[in-house]
Amino acid sequence: MRIFYVALFLSIVFNFTGCSSKTPQEPSETIVSQSVGTAADDNELDEFADEMEVKEICDPFSGYNRVMTSFNDGAYEYFFKPVANGYKAVLHVEIRESISNFFNNLYFPMRLTNNLLQGKFCNASEETGRFVTNSTVGVLGLFDPASKHFDLKAHEEDFGQTLGFYGVGSGPHIVLPLLGPSNLRDVVSLYPDALLSPIDYTKRSYWTLTDTWSEYLGAKSFEKINYASLNMDGYEKMRKDAVDLYPYLRDVYEQYRDKQIEE
Amino acid sequence: MKSIYKKILALGVVLFFAQSLAADETLELKEHFLKKIDEVILIVENKSLSKDERNGNIVKSLTPMFDFELMAKLSLGNKWKELLDADKEKFVTLYVERMKQSYSSKIDAYKDEKVEVKKIEQQKADRVALVTDLISKTEKLEIVYKFYKPKKPIASKDNWLVYDVEILGVSILKTDKAQFKEFLQTKSIAELMDALAKQS
Repeated sequence: MRIFYVALFLSIVFNFTGCSSKTPQEPSETIVSQSVGTAADDNELDEFADEMEVKEICDPFSGYNRVMTSFNDGAYEYFFKPVANGYKAVLHVEIRESISNFFNNLYFPMRLTNNLLQGKFCNASEETGRFVTNSTVGVLGLFDPASKHFDLKAHEEDFGQTLGFYGVGSGPHIVLPLLGPSNLRDVVSLYPDALLSPIDYTKRSYWTLTDTWSEYLGAKSFEKINYASLNMDGYEKMRKDAVDLYPYLRDVYEQYRDKQIEE
Repeated sequence: MKSIYKKILALGVVLFFAQSLAADETLELKEHFLKKIDEVILIVENKSLSKDERNGNIVKSLTPMFDFELMAKLSLGNKWKELLDADKEKFVTLYVERMKQSYSSKIDAYKDEKVEVKKIEQQKADRVALVTDLISKTEKLEIVYKFYKPKKPIASKDNWLVYDVEILGVSILKTDKAQFKEFLQTKSIAELMDALAKQS
C-alpha cells in the first residue's frame, strides 16, 4: 500500500514540476561554458553522425556540370538580371504575379496527370477545382481566387516526381543550359511533361498556345524573364551561402527533389 | 496477490505521468519558440531602427536558441577531429559569423508573414523537430527547426537548441557539410576559412 502512495506522490510532484518550469531558458546549477576542441566534442559528433549522413550524389559529369553552372550564373548575371530589372521597372508587381499565375494555370494538364499517375486522387480533384475556378472567375488564370477564397491548394507534380514515386533513382546529376540543375530522371521526364504543355513548337491535334519554334521560344523566354523578375532575391541570397557554387546548387536541388517526391 | 495489482497500478500511474511530462516539455518548447518568433517580428517591424541595428537585434534575440558552435563542428564531420585547436577556434568563429549574417539577411526580407507550427516530431528523448509553415500572401514555405537538448545546459543558452534548419527539405547543415567536404578534397582548411571570411 505504501508503495502505491509513494508512487502517486512522486508522479504528482513530477507532473507539477513539469508544468511549473515555464522558463525553459533558465539554466540549472551545472553549467558548462562552451569550449572548443575538447574530448567531449568527438562523442557529440558521433551522436549526430546518423542524421548527418550525406547521400553521395552520382556525379560522373562534374567537369561539364561545373562549366555549365558558371555559364548559367554568367547568363543570369549579365543577361537575365539586367533584362528582368528593366522589365521589373516597367511592369507593376501585381501584373507580373498575374502573368505568372496565367502560365501556372496552363500547366494544369501536367499536374493533373501526374497526380493521377501517383494515385493522389484528392489532390487531383483539388487541382481540377483550381483550374475551373481560376480559368473562369480568375479570368483565364490571371488571378488566383481558388487559393484566396476557396482554400484550394496547388499540388505541384511533374513526371520526374512520378518516376521517383515509383522508386526510380535520380541518376547522374546534369546541369542544363539556362534551365539549371537537373538529373537524368528529370531530364527524361521533360519530354512527357512537354506533351502535356500547351506551350509547344509542333502542330498538334489539340489546341496549343504556340505552334512554331519562334512562338515557342518567345513564350518561354517571356515566362522565364517574368519568373526571374519575381524571384531574383531568392537566388541571390541562396548564392551568397555557397562556398563553391556548383556542388552547393547540386545538393540543394537533389535534397529539394527528394523532399518533393516524398510528399 | 492484491499488492501486485497495486504495484502494477502504481507503475501505470508513474508511466502515465512520465508521458505527460515529456509531452509537456515539447509543448513548452513550442511556446518558447513562438514567443521568440514574436520577438523577432517586433524587431523586423520596428522601422525606427536602421537595417544594421535591426539585424544586430535579431541575431542577439535568436542566438540563445541556436547552437551555431555545434553546427560548425558538424559541418566539418570527421575532418573536425583532425584540426589543430587554433584552427578549430578560428573555424567556429568564422562559421558562426557567416551563419548570423546569412540568417539575419534572410529574415530581413520577411514582410507580413506568419509562422505556424504544424507538427512536433520527437524522434528521441533529446531531439525534437518543429515543423513550421512560413505563410505569406502568395505562398507557404515549410521550415523545420531541429532542436536537441544538451546533456549539461550551456551558459547563456536555452535548454533546447537548434542544430539544423531545413527549408523546403533542404538542410542547411547537410548542404554545408557536402560543400565543405568537396572543397577540402582539393583545397586546404586555410583556404576554406578564407572563403568563409569573404562571405560575412
